[in-house]
Amino acid sequence: MAKSNLFSKIKGFIHSDAFIFLLPAIILIVVFYLIPIAVSVYMSFTPLRNWNIQRYIHEFVGFENYWRFFYMVTHDPTVQPIFITTVVFIVITLMVNVLGGLGLAIATFFMGEREASGTQLLWLLPRMTPIAVYSMIWYYFFHGSAIGTLNSILMALGIIHQPIDWGQSIIPWGPWMIIIFVNGLVGVSYGMIVFTSAISNIPKELVIAARVDGASNWNITKNILIPLLKWHIVYVTTWQMLSLLTTYDHIFLLVEWGLVNRYWGTTWALYIYNMAFTAAEKDLGLAAATGVILVIVGAVLGLLALKIMGFDKMVKEPRGDI
Amino acid sequence: MRYYTALSKTAGIVIAIIIIIAVAAGAYYYIQSQKAATGKTVTFVPLTGDFNKDIINVGKALEQNGIKTVQFSVWSGGDPNSVMRIYGIVEAAYRINNIWKQNNINVEIKITTRYVSNPNSVYEDYINKWSLGQAPDIMANGYTYIASLASEGYILDLTPYLNNYTSFLNQFYPTLIEAMKWKGKIYGIPQDTEARPIYIRRDVAACAGLDLAGLAEKIKDGQFTWSDLYKWALKVKESGCAPWGLIHRKGSAHPDLIQFIYAFGGKLYDEKTGKLVFDKAAVYKWFTVEKTFADHGLLPHDMMSWDWAKQIHPTVVDGKTLAFIGGTWHWFEWQTKAYYTDPKTGQQRPLTAEEVHKFFYYTLFPSGIKGKHGLTLSQPFAWMINSKAGEQNPNYDKLKDLYHELAFLVVVKASDPDIIAIHSLISGHLPVTKTAAELIKNKTWVEELKSLKIKLDPVVLNNIKSIIEKTVNPINVQFLANVTYMLEYTTFTPKHPQYPKLASLFAEALDQVLRDKMTPAQAVNFIVEKINADPDLKNSVEIVGEIPQNWTFP
Repeated sequence: MAKSNLFSKIKGFIHSDAFIFLLPAIILIVVFYLIPIAVSVYMSFTPLRNWNIQRYIHEFVGFENYWRFFYMVTHDPTVQPIFITTVVFIVITLMVNVLGGLGLAIATFFMGEREASGTQLLWLLPRMTPIAVYSMIWYYFFHGSAIGTLNSILMALGIIHQPIDWGQSIIPWGPWMIIIFVNGLVGVSYGMIVFTSAISNIPKELVIAARVDGASNWNITKNILIPLLKWHIVYVTTWQMLSLLTTYDHIFLLVEWGLVNRYWGTTWALYIYNMAFTAAEKDLGLAAATGVILVIVGAVLGLLALKIMGFDKMVKEPRGDI
Repeated sequence: MRYYTALSKTAGIVIAIIIIIAVAAGAYYYIQSQKAATGKTVTFVPLTGDFNKDIINVGKALEQNGIKTVQFSVWSGGDPNSVMRIYGIVEAAYRINNIWKQNNINVEIKITTRYVSNPNSVYEDYINKWSLGQAPDIMANGYTYIASLASEGYILDLTPYLNNYTSFLNQFYPTLIEAMKWKGKIYGIPQDTEARPIYIRRDVAACAGLDLAGLAEKIKDGQFTWSDLYKWALKVKESGCAPWGLIHRKGSAHPDLIQFIYAFGGKLYDEKTGKLVFDKAAVYKWFTVEKTFADHGLLPHDMMSWDWAKQIHPTVVDGKTLAFIGGTWHWFEWQTKAYYTDPKTGQQRPLTAEEVHKFFYYTLFPSGIKGKHGLTLSQPFAWMINSKAGEQNPNYDKLKDLYHELAFLVVVKASDPDIIAIHSLISGHLPVTKTAAELIKNKTWVEELKSLKIKLDPVVLNNIKSIIEKTVNPINVQFLANVTYMLEYTTFTPKHPQYPKLASLFAEALDQVLRDKMTPAQAVNFIVEKINADPDLKNSVEIVGEIPQNWTFP
């Protein structure tokens, strides 16, 4: 009964206008999300390596790649730092991204239009700059020798006398600080745009009335802006968390160029990338299994975040007794 | 209206005629191509071992099958002077095209090339693109890749072809042919080989009062070991003659450093079990030597991430180190690349042959054990043929064998003595055949090469002209002759699909030791843990020996 109910619901949806309206998005999701996930899951059950698709694609090894993954996690001395780094990186960068974005959006709200635009443009620069160029800037800034900008400034000020290899010698906080800083700056702009856009939609009357009543900037922020931005905070937090879980581009360059320690600067996503693309033997079956686990973890974390932040309540239909 | 109808009628007739002609032409072409495809055409030519006869037969067979052009691609990589790794194939195609022309065979080979600085990236691209049918037809790359490429079925087993080319095969030094084998079958043709000498700066040594006379003999006989080199380096540093005592190549060039394992009596491969060997004692000694150098400021802590062009080569050619673990090809590279800062002008420029000779003394890699002879390490390059060679050409399924035979014959031609000798003379790699080695000694031929009077494909000549002008000279010819003896003391890295994984662990661990993040003992245990953490590697590696308790360095 329940089954036929589901089928009739699906049938009804297919014949509805909503389906036609959503069709382009559905096609995109199927082609670019669902099929790649299905392919990854399939690959994770094969011994695929060195891109030898013709040879391995029909071989089935069951859960061997998943077993190998858990074996490596429990035995490989360099895998544990990678997972610790991933957790620290996500937690701190997420806070920087959400709180930084929120702070910037609110700060620019209280600025004059010109100053606000200038500030926002400045914070958008990291996102506008090509990844390689942006990473290069911070590579030279944190470089462990005397040519590093940070070292040369500190040496000129007499604070240090020898250059410090920030990403290699201060383990683990050196590499953590660098990857969090570099990614944090990029992520802040995203939150800033979403929050700025949301603030601009808050009725001006509320703020004006509060001002008339003598409310300070802090009162307006605490009692008007933040409560009305709750939906957006949930959205930005969840989105950024999942982005950080899968990001690796800037980190890849910083690790590859030797700026940060290979183990305490590598995140889970980069670990998978290296396993599939840069390792001596391209272990694609294992990389796919590791990727599938990452997707599952991402899905669980995403749902958990929405649950904790009360997403259900926010999307509940109005009771109609207002 | 009538006008419009009349025009349509005319237009209709014209269009109908065009369509009929097009269909008839298409049908005619189809019938002709079917005839060619289904007729009694030759799709395989038994090889006789007589190159001219075979290449003519293959050419005729291709022509008979309606093939006018065969497109092959060749990829390779390495130092800037080693471009004959691609132009050797271009030259071979040019020579084959001429043979076909002389025999009125209307077929032509066209070669596309790709040459990059890092041969490993060529290998990476090869395996990434093989399944897509975009890998090159021929690749010149290190013999160590043969194991993984052959085990994946990515390269052609050349044994059946070489069975008919025994006299060709016999030209090569037997050790090199052994290096081309995987599970008893030959998968590559040697393209070049080399030795990895230690270069000692004569001026820096003289400044510190070190006598180089007879050093090569002492190292050869095991009378001068790494302990002695360490003492020399310390003296250089203390006397302020150079900031560094030793420089070596970076992380991606770990084969150079593998010599330490052999220098301390270790091994990397067990012939009996077919497994890789991780010799804890030898690796511990290697790491300890490097750490001792680094701890005393004789070797940079971040050596494994130095930049080739901005740090490594300038430090060596500007005399800022006593010793450099390099390769024979560096002797030639320093003469073509502007690494040297001229003290008079302050400008960077290449060294002249005379300057290289004046600055650098070269010798075998010292032993770590008194009385044990010095050594070197060779990583011969091999021509490897894609198991899908010719796939981009017409009628591949039917003519596969012919395309494979042609690719093989192109590689045979690329092994002509003069092509090998030119490569050696401009790149500093050692010749792989006896006939090429003889040719290098032929002063008339060398003079012809130097004056660019030699007969080569104009495209090839144009591309290597500037390198010839800079490198072909009596000093370099003499250098090649002088280092050839090192091949008697040469060692190889193992051919095993899991070896690159193990080798990258060595590089990772050494980097940690040099940066003072791990002690040599911790680094050895780290490698053991990494081996045990990877089930594939664990099954492929035997861990032998123990960390020596009472061993000290120097």
